[in-house]
Amino acid sequence: MFDSVDQVLAKLTEQDYIGDKKIGTVVFLADKLEKPVLVEGPAGVGKTELAKVVAKATGRKLIRLQCYEGLDEAKALYEWEYSKQLLYTQILKEKFTEAMSGASSLRDAAERVGKEDSVFFSNNFIVPRPLLMAITSEEPTLLLIDEVDKSDPEFEAFLLEVLSDFQVTVPELGTIEAVRKPLVFLTSNNAREMSDALKRRCLHLYIDFPSEELERKILETKVPEAAAGLVEDLVAMMHRLRELDLKKTPSISETLDWARALLALNAQELDEDLVSQTFNVILKYEGDVRKAQAELDKLLQKKAGEARAAKPAGAAPPAAASTKKGALH
Amino acid sequence: MQKKILEFTNILRKSGIRVSTAEAIDSFSALEQLSLDDREVFKDALRSTMVKRGEEVPTFDQLFDLFWSGFYDSLRESFGQATGGLAEAGVDLEQLLQQIAQMLQGMEGEIGDLSDLARALLTQDLTQLENLIRQAAEQAGIERIENFLQVGFFSRRTLEQLGMEGAGDELQDLAARLEAAGMSPEEIAALRSLLEGLMEALRRSVRSFTERELQKQNHDYMEKFRRETLLEKSFYHLTEEEIRKMREVVERLAQRIKNVLSIRRRRLKRGKLDLHQTLRRNMSHGAIPFELVFKQRKKDRPKLVILTDVSSSVANVSRFMLQFVYTLQEAFTKIRAFVFVAELGEVTPLFQEKDINDAIEQALDGGDVINVYTRSNFGYAFHHFWQNYLSAIDNKTTVLILGDARNNYNDPRAWCLREIHNKAKNVVWLNPENPSAWGFGDSVMDKYLPYTDVAEECRNLRQLSKVVDGLLL
Repeated sequence: MFDSVDQVLAKLTEQDYIGDKKIGTVVFLADKLEKPVLVEGPAGVGKTELAKVVAKATGRKLIRLQCYEGLDEAKALYEWEYSKQLLYTQILKEKFTEAMSGASSLRDAAERVGKEDSVFFSNNFIVPRPLLMAITSEEPTLLLIDEVDKSDPEFEAFLLEVLSDFQVTVPELGTIEAVRKPLVFLTSNNAREMSDALKRRCLHLYIDFPSEELERKILETKVPEAAAGLVEDLVAMMHRLRELDLKKTPSISETLDWARALLALNAQELDEDLVSQTFNVILKYEGDVRKAQAELDKLLQKKAGEARAAKPAGAAPPAAASTKKGALH
Repeated sequence: MQKKILEFTNILRKSGIRVSTAEAIDSFSALEQLSLDDREVFKDALRSTMVKRGEEVPTFDQLFDLFWSGFYDSLRESFGQATGGLAEAGVDLEQLLQQIAQMLQGMEGEIGDLSDLARALLTQDLTQLENLIRQAAEQAGIERIENFLQVGFFSRRTLEQLGMEGAGDELQDLAARLEAAGMSPEEIAALRSLLEGLMEALRRSVRSFTERELQKQNHDYMEKFRRETLLEKSFYHLTEEEIRKMREVVERLAQRIKNVLSIRRRRLKRGKLDLHQTLRRNMSHGAIPFELVFKQRKKDRPKLVILTDVSSSVANVSRFMLQFVYTLQEAFTKIRAFVFVAELGEVTPLFQEKDINDAIEQALDGGDVINVYTRSNFGYAFHHFWQNYLSAIDNKTTVLILGDARNNYNDPRAWCLREIHNKAKNVVWLNPENPSAWGFGDSVMDKYLPYTDVAEECRNLRQLSKVVDGLLL
């Protein structure tokens, strides 16, 4: 499907996903080696997005399994459709009586019923859930197991069979092997350390907060209306904030939200009022907002101090620094 | 290549990154799919197949740079210096070598008779040289190198294995024969100085190879050693740095307990068959019970009251205990925290308002409610608690007391603890002192002992985590 790492990146860019070479390499390998990818990293850096975009770029059908505590096989793999089975039994009652009519003893009858077992435990009565769907699908699929760290350790163990051999075992039906091997992406926020067994079967991709340059590129692609000055200010501010000890560090999705919010307010560049008013877009805790505000004030004071110091000296500050960097730097 | 990757795998393992055989095989097949021109891609391929934890990535990066930063380059550099000196002296190396080769041809292909090393040196075949050095180092048992003092030793052994002396003699011999064959004196002098330079470069290269090897093998060794000892290290002697590290260790331990707890809970929770619910759930199946519903046992999460002595002698135990308990706070229904030296005051609000680390530091400072610059008086503190806060305790409450029970010869007022004990579910006392010291000197531990359900020595993290685990069972 892909020929080279660069091609992967190009295809992702086509879908408006800007990634670095690391991401490209892992996606390329996942495709070539037919191995699942475990994507880890802080919330909001685009882990789920990556899977979606890869699905689009490769023309695979996306099948998503959202994990949560208490998720079990019945919801992830398959379930027997009891009501339907029951209904069929009712409808076919006469047929049963017919089949049983020649039975001489109870044991004989039971044996006959036993022979008809396969009627009721067949594909007819199975409700496929995401995992089974991904495996039995005729068209190529991408299976996204989202937030796998939220699931229970038992569920993780059960995933192993699917991930390593692309097959599932239904006791009544036997082992079902994948028609076409799905591309599998697992995402994790590291709420819980995944087991070594699971990690061993996966390629590992750690997506961290992007560099300033990459983040600018992302902003330019995703919010093309934003003015260049605004993008510059935004990204610089975000990187400052990430260095603070915050309860919830804002990530790319917050940067994008912020950019969109500022656009809605018709901002051309960042100034102090605007920032304080819109902090709540990127910071989700009261304490964090306070901390960020303090940092902002400190910056402004320093800035003012520098301006005062610069004046008596008479020398004009370098033009680029004073115009471009605005109130924030 | 495979051999080098396996070697790299070994080095990762030594630094505490677990790389399984299956993962090493994955990395082989990954590399087969990629072109190796791009160093970044190569690195990413190795990382994604071998390193599966975010926190191990920095270690991997460092080791990668150490391992794959070409020794070849440094080799070229030192040999470049050796021959560069010659060029300054106005000798054209190419020409000299050509001449030698010509003369040797006349002498029945003797360059083939030279040993591998001598030949590689003379023709400056650096790839071959690198291979030879690697082999020799391996034979010298370089992977056993452990500290800096051994660099000299292993360099020497590698040189011996390499057969440097022999190669030197051979080359000198060659020079002599060339002289006899009629080479001009200037050329011979140039050749001899070249040989000297080469030998020196070789010696230096081997030494730098050994040093590199030491760095690779020992990377993270000290770090790992420290982490392990932190668990055992007594709380009495901790540096600032260690306290910071310890905080991380506590965090991890707490996280692990949390995980274990969730499993334990779930197993305990499932009770008897719930007939009502089962029937209701299966109405749609004509009341045929396909899906069973079980009664859930009520969770019995403990309430916790912590009394911590924050006098300097036990401050560290208190610090980590508080961190532990508050990291695990969802495991308890309610936690109330009190600090005392002589006076006693409640610091629960601190933990509700502040970030956990700030709250702990402030609590240890008395939290604005007590004066910490007095002498410990357990009796007074318990009395105060009994007077004002006894209502905080009911029969579901575990009282956790942290202190060394060194009472400065004050009245222990053990009856206060008895009252507390009578009301509480249980009383746990953690003492950073060894049990053999309890009751000696100004210690009144023996007076309090009858009114505690559990009294344990708690001097390091391992003991601390054991106690916390026990609390939650």
